[in-house]
Formats: sequence, structure tokens, C-alpha cells
Amino acid sequence: MRKYLFVLLALALAVGVFAYGCAPPEPEPEPDPDEVVDVEQDLVVAIGAEPENLDPLKMMSAPAATVAEHMVENLIYLDVDGEMQPALAESWEAAEDGMSWYLYLREGVQFHDGTPFNAEAVKYNLDRFLGVDDPDSAAVFAFLLGEVSEVEVVDEYTVQIHLENPFAPIVSHLSHSFIGMHSPDSLEALDEDEFAEAPVGTGPFTFASWDRGNEIVMERNDDYWGEVPQLDSVTFKFVPEGSSRVIMLETGEVHAIMAVPPTDIDRLEGEPEIDVVHQTSVRVLYLGFNMEEEVFEDVRVRQALNYAVDKNAIIDTLFQGVGEPSTAPIVPAIFGYKQVGPYEYDQDRARELLEEAGYGDGLEVELYHPTGRYPQDDTVVEAVQAMLAEVGVDARLTTYDWGTYLDTVIVTPDEAEHDIYMLGWGTVTLDADYGLYALFHSTQWPPYGNNVSYYADDEVDALLDEARITPERDVREDLYHQIIEILWEDAPWIFLHDEGQVNAVRSNVEGLIHHPLENLSAWDAWIE
Amino acid sequence: MKRLLLSIPVLIGVSILVFSIVRFIPGDPARAIAGVHASPQHIEQVRRELLLDEGLHVQYYVYMSNLFQGDLGQSTFSRRPVATELRERFPNTVRLSVAAMVVATAVGMTAGIISATRRYSIFDYSSMVGALIGVAAPVFWLGVMFQLLFAVQLGWLPSGGMGTFRHLILPALTLGLATAALIARITRSSMLDVLRQDYITTARSKGLIERVVTYKHALKNALIPVVTVMGLQFGTLLGGAVLVETVFSWPGIGRLMVDSILARDYPVVQGAVLLLAVTFVLINLLVDVIYAFLDPRISYGTREVE
Repeated sequence: MRKYLFVLLALALAVGVFAYGCAPPEPEPEPDPDEVVDVEQDLVVAIGAEPENLDPLKMMSAPAATVAEHMVENLIYLDVDGEMQPALAESWEAAEDGMSWYLYLREGVQFHDGTPFNAEAVKYNLDRFLGVDDPDSAAVFAFLLGEVSEVEVVDEYTVQIHLENPFAPIVSHLSHSFIGMHSPDSLEALDEDEFAEAPVGTGPFTFASWDRGNEIVMERNDDYWGEVPQLDSVTFKFVPEGSSRVIMLETGEVHAIMAVPPTDIDRLEGEPEIDVVHQTSVRVLYLGFNMEEEVFEDVRVRQALNYAVDKNAIIDTLFQGVGEPSTAPIVPAIFGYKQVGPYEYDQDRARELLEEAGYGDGLEVELYHPTGRYPQDDTVVEAVQAMLAEVGVDARLTTYDWGTYLDTVIVTPDEAEHDIYMLGWGTVTLDADYGLYALFHSTQWPPYGNNVSYYADDEVDALLDEARITPERDVREDLYHQIIEILWEDAPWIFLHDEGQVNAVRSNVEGLIHHPLENLSAWDAWIE
Repeated sequence: MKRLLLSIPVLIGVSILVFSIVRFIPGDPARAIAGVHASPQHIEQVRRELLLDEGLHVQYYVYMSNLFQGDLGQSTFSRRPVATELRERFPNTVRLSVAAMVVATAVGMTAGIISATRRYSIFDYSSMVGALIGVAAPVFWLGVMFQLLFAVQLGWLPSGGMGTFRHLILPALTLGLATAALIARITRSSMLDVLRQDYITTARSKGLIERVVTYKHALKNALIPVVTVMGLQFGTLLGGAVLVETVFSWPGIGRLMVDSILARDYPVVQGAVLLLAVTFVLINLLVDVIYAFLDPRISYGTREVE
């Protein structure tokens, strides 16, 4: 009897689980593959990863930025060319002493929930981002506003941002996608979880739904203060597998995909109905020298190794042509960039320089690198190893998993075991300060900084400091040009390549913006 | 009941194993999770959340006591409760696995029975070769092939995502095929075994028509090993879902796990592994019970029926 009861119970459980599992999925209008092309203006984009969260306090990734910027706007917008465009702030200027910045806000703008956008709203958002009330709850990216001491409301449409020290890159940092302006009412009224699901901003699209793991849908904001988009809706689908994204594009289930797998690029380029779009990214990949090592104190050795590496061969064979040999320590999309390179592939010149430096008989180095972190990282290093061997440099490789690797190379010079290390850096603020200061200023040595080369040059330090406190953009730009020239000549790295990004779009879609920050923006897009 | 008690140590073992994952990452887990751009404050925050500065026993105690309150921690990536993430995704995985099981059972048993009754026929050979391929073909390859055939070439079915019933067909087919192949082979050999038994000969000699012999007398007994395999396979399906869900962008536990591993989101990985392990144990328990029901000779009680 007991046995039967047990069986009955088990069956009930089984039926329960089954019924739960078979519950009809939420009805959701799924366009027929054939229809999509004719359907009015409903754009569908497939991206590789899902936004982790849309709360500015918790955002960390490019997918989050891509989705969020359709609904939530910044004070300042950095366009594809790295130019600062007025967004919710119409203009801005530094105070005389450089210790604060004035932002003059756009008037008559409303959040999606009807709350007016004004100086109070800006203060509320920035204070929340900085964790003014509770430092523990500051945003993951709060360091972007690290120099801000106070946000002051001057009048209804003027905000004054006070700084600890003069810090000119602040305006670039304010344009970062994670510092969007949300409706303070929504922040207060909704509990955090709900808010994170449904951001309320001022942007050209409003939040419609988020089916976790599947897609986010946004609808046109007809009351948008700027030019109202032509699209009725934008949907971002999350498709982690690259080849699956390609298939969805080919069948017409989606209109555009991000991050085309290198192996599919050639094939897609042959398809008449699909346009392949190449864009730069903001990330450079490099092999840094440990300049505290005697051998790398000699600039000729550092330059020689730059000449010895064939960057084009790496890009062509390992990356199917995606990416460019580095022409500066930062990529062209960054404010302050100047083209000074690349170091041409020249084995004779490399041998000559090594000879002059007294290493004509060859030299041995320890090359540390991570695996599984950057695209093809270990293969790139092996290629470099082979190229270095040809000029008599014997590089011994040490491979680590990412976590261990960081602990091994981001250490003080005394603890360093590496002669050469591999790292990448994305200048996500699109401002040279974040790329050059963090990586080359002598105050930024590990363990607390990212100057893993232990680079120290008084002139570079002075120029970097000056560029930080100089509000005039053209003057700053010139300072960064000088810095880049010095760095290039000094060669603290083997400059490898700028990572590229490749998207693909069906040819009946026009006006998509492919941004170097790996954002795909649809507010100017339409479907023909 | 004894079975139920036996699964407790298994579950404790799983919890310890799962708990250890994050502690065995080489290097500083906090730094690995937070990433290279992270500020020292953020690394410190992650470190505090994971209680990395406490002793291992303290960490385990806190982990377990939270677990019993249904608190699986917070995702370091999405910053949402792990339990919420799992609750959203689990039904999708169950839906996919159940659909795959239906496919596997229908296809597998049919093929198995026909092969057994028409032994050495063309159908027998071709279905057994098909089964061999089904078992051997990697799931992700099969998935991509199905996408190419049914979505790109024929345009009959959507290639991925979740929504209508049509979205379910390809992933369920992909996931179920290997199991179908296995079920077909087990059904066939089990049927052949039973068909050779004396009581079948008796039944036949009584003049019963072949169909009755096959489906009424032989099938029920032949099903016992099949059910066992199905039960065990159900657990395997949950695991296989990791690949299929990734290929077909199906928002289930498997994909959540892959995404979380890539994002180094260890609390979610822990939670997902734990959930799958618990499900696996429960299903095995269920199989044991059904098994006893189908075969009265088996008893898990204190008295042996012999």
C-alpha cells in the first residue's frame, strides 16, 4: 500500500513538472521569415551577449551600453568620429580655474514617464552613480567620475560639476554610455529590480519588454525631443553562437548581426542581399616590455623587436584580415590619436639594431601571456615567438589562465618574473587620457595601476599632467600628439594590432550606426 | 524511503563540490571576476560578497545556511539574485528536455519495435545504421546542420530563439535524436530478448495473432530496461541542453551556465550546477520508483520478495 502511495506521489510530481514545462509560452508575435522583409519598421538585431543589467550602477558591458543608449541619453554624445555632440546638455565650459565645469542643459525635455528633465535630475543621477549617500552602492564604473567632488544645481537648467583637481577629460567621461540620465521619479518609485528591467530615460525609444535570455524590445518614443525615429520598434535578440547569428541573418529572421565570426566573413561578403560592415574598435593588443630589466633599458632592443614582428601576417592569417597594425599606442577612434606607425616589418633593421646594442649573438627572454582572454591570444604569441626566433631572439613562453595571469604580471618590479607580457586595453572613454595616463604615467605602476611596463619618463609625465588640466580641446589634442610621438620612438611595447569589429546587415536596412565602442545604434535607421 | 535518505549524502557531496569551484580558481577570484578595468573598490566589493577573507568552513556554513533559505547569492554579472535567474530559465530547459524526450521516445521506440519484429529487414538495417549515426554525431554539429537544412535551405522553421511552438521543433529534434538512437537500440535488443522467451512461444502457440503477442505480451516486459535508460537519459538531456541551447539561442539553464562561465559569474555557475545535480538525483529517484512499479519483482522495502 505504502509503495502505491509513493508511486502516486511520484507520478503527481512528474505530471506537475511536465505541466509546468509544457505551459504555453507567452504569446508573442513572431514574424514569419518571409514576412520580415515586408513588415513595416520593426528592426531586429542579433547580438552575442545579453546586457547584464540596465541600471547604470551595475552596467559593465558593451551589449548593455548598446541597448541602453536607445532609451537613455547622456549629457554629451560621442559620435562615430569621436566628436562631442550636444545631447541632454546643449553646451559646456570649464570655469576659469579649471576646478569645475558648467553644463547648460536642454530645455523642455521630458522623461518617458513625464517627469521633466532638469538640473535636479542630473544631480540625482550623478550623485547616485558616485554613491554620494552610500559609497558602497557606487557604480561599477564610478571611477569615470573619480575626480568629481560635488555636483551643484546652479539653476533649473545649469549644473556645475566641482572637481578635486582640474580634470579636462571629465566631459569625455560624462559621455560614457553608462552615465545615462534616468528619471529620478522612476529611480525612487520603483524598487531596484524593477527599475533594472525597465529603464525610464529621455531617449528615442521606450522600453517595451525584456524576455531574459531571449530578447529586449523597445518602441518608438513619439514624444522624443529630437528627430523622432522612423522605426516603430527595435528588438535586440541574444544569440551567443556566432554561426547561429549568421544563419538568422541569412534566413532574414534578423536584419543585422554584430560580431560576424571571421570564418563567415568571406561567404557573407559574396551574398548580394547582405552588407558586411568593418569598423574599428577601441582596443589595442600589445606585448609590453618589462623596462626594469637590463636588456630592455636599451631603446634599440625595444625597437628591434618591433621591427621583427610582421603584424600584417598575423592579421591576415589569424584574423582573416580583421584588424589593423597599430599606428599609435591608442586606436584612431580615440580623441588625441595621431598616426605615427606602424613599425614596418624589417628583419634586417631588427638584426642591425640588436647588433648595435650588443646582442648580435642572440638573446633569451621570458614571454608571459594569458590564454582564452583575447581572440587567438596564444596563437598570436606563438607566431611572434617564431618571428623573433628569426632575428635571434629566443622567447620562452609561459601561459596562464586569466586570473592567475593578472596576479602574475600586475606586480611590483621586484616581484616581476616576466620580460615581456601580453595585454590589451580598450580606451572606453574615447579620450586619450584613459588610454595613455593609465598605461604610461609613472604614478600608475602596479600593483595599483596598469603601467605594467614600469614606464617612467619625466617629459611624458609632465605632458600627461598638463593634458589633464588643459580645458581647450585643440591644445590637449596637441599635447597627446607629442606624447604619442615620444612613446612610439621609445617603444615600451611591441605594438601589435588594433582589434577590428565586423557586423553584417541586410541590404534593405539603412542608417544603422556602427560605433567603435561596439555599439550598434538604430535611431537613424529605416527598412526599405 | 531508504532511497530518499541515500540521496542526501549525494546532494551534500554535490554542494561541497559546487562550493569548491570558485575557491579553486587559480589566482585571485575577485580580480578574475571583476576584470582588468575594475577599480580596487570594485574588486574589494566582489571579495566581500564572496566572503573570500573568511575561513573556508565559515564560507561553507554561510553558503549552506543561505541555501536553505533559498538564497543562492547574487550574480556578480547581472547583480540580480541567482535564484531569480534560475527560476526564469529552468522552465525553458524543462520544456526543451521534455519535448526532446517525447521526440526520443516516439522515434526510438517505434524504430526499435519495428526493427525487432522485422529483424534483418531493410528497415532494421537502415534504422540501426541511423541509430549508430545518431549516437555518434556531435549535438552541436547536428544542430547547425538542421539549421542549414530546415531554416536556410527550406525555410520551414526558425533557426533559433524562443517563442512559438515552431521554435521548439529543431532544438527538440537535435537534443532528442541521440537519445532516440539509444532507445531504439535498447528497445530492439530487449524486444528480441523477450520474443525468445518461452511464454511468448506459449502465447503464439495458443494462436494469438502476432500483433497482440508483440504489443500486449512482449512489449510490457521489454520496456523495463527502456524505462531505466529513459530515466537516465533524461538527466543526460538536461546536460546536453547546454550545447543545444547555445546553438539555438534557447534561454534555458544550459545557456545561462555557458554565458556565466564566460562572464566568470561564479555564483550563477554554482547555482545552475547545483540545480541540475538536484534535478538529476530527483529524476533517478523517480526512475527507481517507476521501475519498481513496472516490475513487481523489484522492491526497495525492507522485505525482500523472493
